[in-house]
Amino acid sequence: MTTSLADQLRTLPDESLAALLQLRPDLVVPVPADISALAIRAQSRVSVARALDGLDQFTLQILDAARLTRDPESGSTATDAILAMATAGPHPTAPTAVRAAVNRLRALFLLYGPEHDLRVVGGVDEVAPYPAGLGRPAAELDPRAAALCADPAKLRRTLLAAPPSARAILDRLAAGPPVGSVPPGALQAPAVGAEDSLPPDATNGGAPTGSPIRWLVDHRLLVRISGGKDGGTVELPREVGLLLRRDSGPLGPLRTSPPVVSSPPREPKAVDSAGAGQTMEVVRHTEGLLEALAAEPAPVLRSGGVGVRDLRRLARGLGLDDATTALLFEVAYAAGLLGELDLTGSATTRHGGDQQVLPTGGYEVWRASSLAQRWEQLARAWLTMTRQVGLVGQRDDRDRPISVLSAEAERAGAPAARRAVLGVLADLEPATAPTADEMLEVLDWRAPRRSRGRETAHREVLAEAAQLGVTGLGALTSYGRLLLSDVTEADERGADDPLGLRSEAESGEPSTAVRALDALLPAPVDHFLVQADLTVVVPGPPDPALAAELEVVAEHESAGGASVHRVTTASVRRALDAGYSADDLHKLFRRRSRTPIPQGLTYLVDDVARKHGGLRVGSAGGYVRSDDEALLTEVLADRRLESLAFRRLAPTVLSTPYQVGRMLIALRDGGYAPVPEDASGAAVLARPKTRRAPARVPVSTRALDPLAAPKLALPRLRGVVEQIRRGEAAARAARRAPAVVRGAAARTGPAPAHGHSEALAVLQQAVRDRALVWVGYVDAHGATASRLVRPVSMGAGYLRAEDERTEMLHTFALHRITAAVLED
Amino acid sequence: MSGGPLIVQSDKTLLLEIDHPDAQACRMAIAPFAELERSPEHVHTYRLTPLGLWNARAAGHDAEGVVDTLIKYSRYPVPHGLLVDVAETMDRYGRLQLANDPAHGLVLRALDRLVLVEVAKSKKLAGMLGDRIDDDTIQVHPSERGRLKQALLKLGWPAEDLAGYVDGEAHPIELAEAGKDGRKPWTLRSYQLEAVEAFWAGGSGVVVLPCGAGKTLVGAAAMAEAKATTLILVTNTVAGRQWKRELVARTSLTEDEIGEYSGERKEIRPVTIATYQVLTSRRGGAFTHLDLFGARDWGLVIYDEVHLLPAPIFRFTADLQARRRLGLTATLVREDGREGDVFSLIGPKRYDAPWKDIESQGWIAPAECTEVRVTLTDAERMTYATAEAEERYRMAATARTKLPVVRALVDRHKGDQTLVIGAYIDQLHQLGEYLDAPIIQGSTTNKERERLFDAFRSGELRTLVISKVGNFSIDLPEAAVAIQVSGTFGSRQEEAQRLGRVLRPKADGRQAHFYTVVSRDTIDTEYAAHRQRFLAEQGYAYTIVDADDVLGPKLPTVD
Repeated sequence: MTTSLADQLRTLPDESLAALLQLRPDLVVPVPADISALAIRAQSRVSVARALDGLDQFTLQILDAARLTRDPESGSTATDAILAMATAGPHPTAPTAVRAAVNRLRALFLLYGPEHDLRVVGGVDEVAPYPAGLGRPAAELDPRAAALCADPAKLRRTLLAAPPSARAILDRLAAGPPVGSVPPGALQAPAVGAEDSLPPDATNGGAPTGSPIRWLVDHRLLVRISGGKDGGTVELPREVGLLLRRDSGPLGPLRTSPPVVSSPPREPKAVDSAGAGQTMEVVRHTEGLLEALAAEPAPVLRSGGVGVRDLRRLARGLGLDDATTALLFEVAYAAGLLGELDLTGSATTRHGGDQQVLPTGGYEVWRASSLAQRWEQLARAWLTMTRQVGLVGQRDDRDRPISVLSAEAERAGAPAARRAVLGVLADLEPATAPTADEMLEVLDWRAPRRSRGRETAHREVLAEAAQLGVTGLGALTSYGRLLLSDVTEADERGADDPLGLRSEAESGEPSTAVRALDALLPAPVDHFLVQADLTVVVPGPPDPALAAELEVVAEHESAGGASVHRVTTASVRRALDAGYSADDLHKLFRRRSRTPIPQGLTYLVDDVARKHGGLRVGSAGGYVRSDDEALLTEVLADRRLESLAFRRLAPTVLSTPYQVGRMLIALRDGGYAPVPEDASGAAVLARPKTRRAPARVPVSTRALDPLAAPKLALPRLRGVVEQIRRGEAAARAARRAPAVVRGAAARTGPAPAHGHSEALAVLQQAVRDRALVWVGYVDAHGATASRLVRPVSMGAGYLRAEDERTEMLHTFALHRITAAVLED
Repeated sequence: MSGGPLIVQSDKTLLLEIDHPDAQACRMAIAPFAELERSPEHVHTYRLTPLGLWNARAAGHDAEGVVDTLIKYSRYPVPHGLLVDVAETMDRYGRLQLANDPAHGLVLRALDRLVLVEVAKSKKLAGMLGDRIDDDTIQVHPSERGRLKQALLKLGWPAEDLAGYVDGEAHPIELAEAGKDGRKPWTLRSYQLEAVEAFWAGGSGVVVLPCGAGKTLVGAAAMAEAKATTLILVTNTVAGRQWKRELVARTSLTEDEIGEYSGERKEIRPVTIATYQVLTSRRGGAFTHLDLFGARDWGLVIYDEVHLLPAPIFRFTADLQARRRLGLTATLVREDGREGDVFSLIGPKRYDAPWKDIESQGWIAPAECTEVRVTLTDAERMTYATAEAEERYRMAATARTKLPVVRALVDRHKGDQTLVIGAYIDQLHQLGEYLDAPIIQGSTTNKERERLFDAFRSGELRTLVISKVGNFSIDLPEAAVAIQVSGTFGSRQEEAQRLGRVLRPKADGRQAHFYTVVSRDTIDTEYAAHRQRFLAEQGYAYTIVDADDVLGPKLPTVD
């Protein structure tokens, strides 16, 4: 008797049902209406795929065994059958491991029913069509292949007869998947009689075989399942596959536990040390990046993200490669240290950029915290950010480059990939550094369905972890391990504590990872070593007070574990400008230096201090100068001029904040005789200026008798006369226009049809004779008019004619011409 | 965290705190792969460069060892990225090898096929490579051996040259350590011996020793090792004669076996000393004296003062790759930045000793460096202030105010051999008159020069005024005081040379003095600052005094 999954679920106690829901939480989103809805969902393709994703390679293989051992009639199997198949190979696996796997599958309800009547939920076959990478039974594919498979001895003989090149194809298909595509033409039989001209096949001892695939298909070892005349796909029947797998067992090689990492463990201290060194670099470079962005924010592209040119600029400034800079950029953004700012009035400032990326207020807080805390903030952001930075710089589907912060590099699976990779590292012995390939193998065993196709992403995670100092020398560092468990714990706690009430209580306390890292990082130092080449070496990270002092008095030269600064003339001057006196500087160096101060430095400070302030700069409204010092002294002492607030700059110069005009008046009032001078020192003379109206033309230039007629010159007169005559002629001509023309023009009714064609005949003749013609026509406004013209040409619906009177060439639309009469 | 003496910086400099108890051990450990950049009194700076790492690799050090050393001596955690970078850089050397194939002659062989594919595609190697023999081997035209190495270095895949050397024409040469012609017996100093051994083991390369540390003897010892005809390239005739004198005195060679190939004489003998100048002289656009390189089957080519090697000589050297080459210099720093060419064409650095160390062994007179600042008179300041920019240095450097100061300094060291060095001829003449001393300048004939040098050497002459010609390779063993009045715009290399003038061993181990007289508040002071930095980086105590202290009635003790 068979029971459906729904029936099975109905019989479960509450705890078991709850356990299932906990294992497959996607079943309750949304909460199913009843058990049968739950059962339908549990068998759905999506839910089954999710459940399978989390399974390791071995469990999946056992599931395959369950599918292979199904009775073709009833569709049920039994634990014993699975066990038999799993232990069938030459290296039988432990039955306990198999049973455990079966129990896992049953707990997930991928298998259900009692032990002797296990069933596989429906969705599995849809999700993974080929169990264990084996094809369908021959009976389902092709009767002739089935006939071959039914005779094991013959099948074996046929297999052994296969030429080596064909055998290679078989072995590849036997390892799974059992389906392969056939290149076009491979199945075509050679032309009759051309068999002998086949090229010799090196893999077959020199004898020509033709296409190995054709051989296989012809011998029924492969079955064509689709495709037309040539090409298509072939499938390896299950029986053939099983026969080929006789060395490794029907399920292929079985591994009950993940592959072992053979790399020898490193010195844990060396690992931590290399990682800690890297964390210092990361923090320093991030700070450099943010400072660079603060100085010159990067514009956001229209398509989103920051352009490659800006990235290159930043990378060059930091001395890093583009990929590392992109990583730091993304991490800093994810950590909330960078943000976009809308540009106001962007239309005028820069083409395309409405937003800029620059440090946020959070940067200030970050900068003030300790090195380890700063690193932790970055590393946490990296662990949880849904960005795959490795994509930056590659091209997307439309062949456009993917830029930093752009939406194309967004990958929801990125945090899971990081968690998976670091999880593998964390599960190894401390300080074990697997190679990337070993790591991928382990991941492949742990969740094959999840990791296949993500190898690149996983390799990137390893590289990024090394760059960020989460790993050192390829192994997970002690503080990296703490951080990872911290983040994982926080996630789990987050599930129990959705409002984050509990984590609130412990904020402010540095995390264990921070404390562990702190112990590895050098302690801040408060002294330096001064040398004769005027370099100042701080043998460790400077404490903030020292750093601030050095910022002022020396130029930064080299950074890292220690920092090297150089005292230069410019830096000393800067310090003096900032308010230090030479004495302060000497004291500062004496106080901070562990080594005697070189004479050169003392001399430099004194020398610069001596020259400092040798020039004084200020602003004044005006000045008074005089070669007579006594006179200036008198001005300075004059009480009436007190309001001008004179200051004596030199024995011969006084300055005042007031403008020249006011000073002049005041001085003159005081009985002095000042002369203003311009910028070049020349005296500016000022005469009193009286007001005047604008100039006018004097009357005297006009003619005596304004009414007298002007005299006309002879040529002008003649021109006038000619003009008049021509006007007259035109008027006469208009009057002379023949009645036909005038009449046609004046007539209100439609022009007679013959009139128009007649007119055209007249015009044609006139063009030939170059004779003058009266033309009546309707103008653009519908008014009628007539004109005496000499036609030049006619064509394309237009008449071109010369008007003798105005000496212009006119163009008339032929359809508007109403009449034409030769001038007589 | 170990409390080591070394701090690794992310710009690939290494800071070595020398007062640390482990400093000496650390210095020995990092010396093979890191280049000493500066050595002031407390913290020495080394730099990791690709060239340095490849030098180390050439000498048989592996990346693992370098990384271990860095970690072992580092005080703070070493960034992982830097370690990876070091390992990757070192790994690039020797992936390609130049070797002699019995059947195909000179071949480029790859230990990494991909690298060979990569470089073979490069346009820079076009025409240098011949037929591909198999997947890992490509034939190389023997004439392109040098240029190929140069090009591969530029591509970042320096090749290991295993193709060997020709022995050259044999010629017996022995060191005359027992003393010759009644001279006292002598032996090579330990560091000279090490230098020669390192060179000979490497085949070709450069030995870096400070002036006065006996580079000539290293050359002589290398010749005695090679026992073959030798071509020696020197900067000028005087230096060539000096070499000849030294070789006659220190080896079994006689005057007749040593030829001089210069502007004056063209002798080709088993040992021939040629000047750079004559080799690079051209007539009608063609180098006329190139035949010298093929005139004999030279077994050894010695380049004196490699840092001054003119560019054309590099080109000739590219054709001499089958001969052993020894470069001698006080500094690998070339003002034209062609250190890479020295590496690929002459060879990797084989030996280097920090100046201070040799000094502490007592071979070089310890020098006291003093900068005397002269305050210009108001008139001179006025002239300086209004001078054209290009005239300013000259104005400042040749200020007359310097004259009394120079005299005061000369007087202070009465009885010592004193050199006054300057760059401007007018000023030198003034000084010559003022101090009543002879002048050596470019136009002085070689004969006159040698006469003056001899007189100076014998102590007949106490004070000598020399121009820039003194920068190169003259030998004045008894100069105990050098006074520099003007220079070539603060050239560091010139500084090293001039300092070398007074650093030669003194007969009685007296204190050597190096004075620089500069005009206060002028561009002269700025150049002096470069100089000060250079000297301080070499570990010399440097003091600055005012001219008044020198001129004043009571002479202050300068210590």
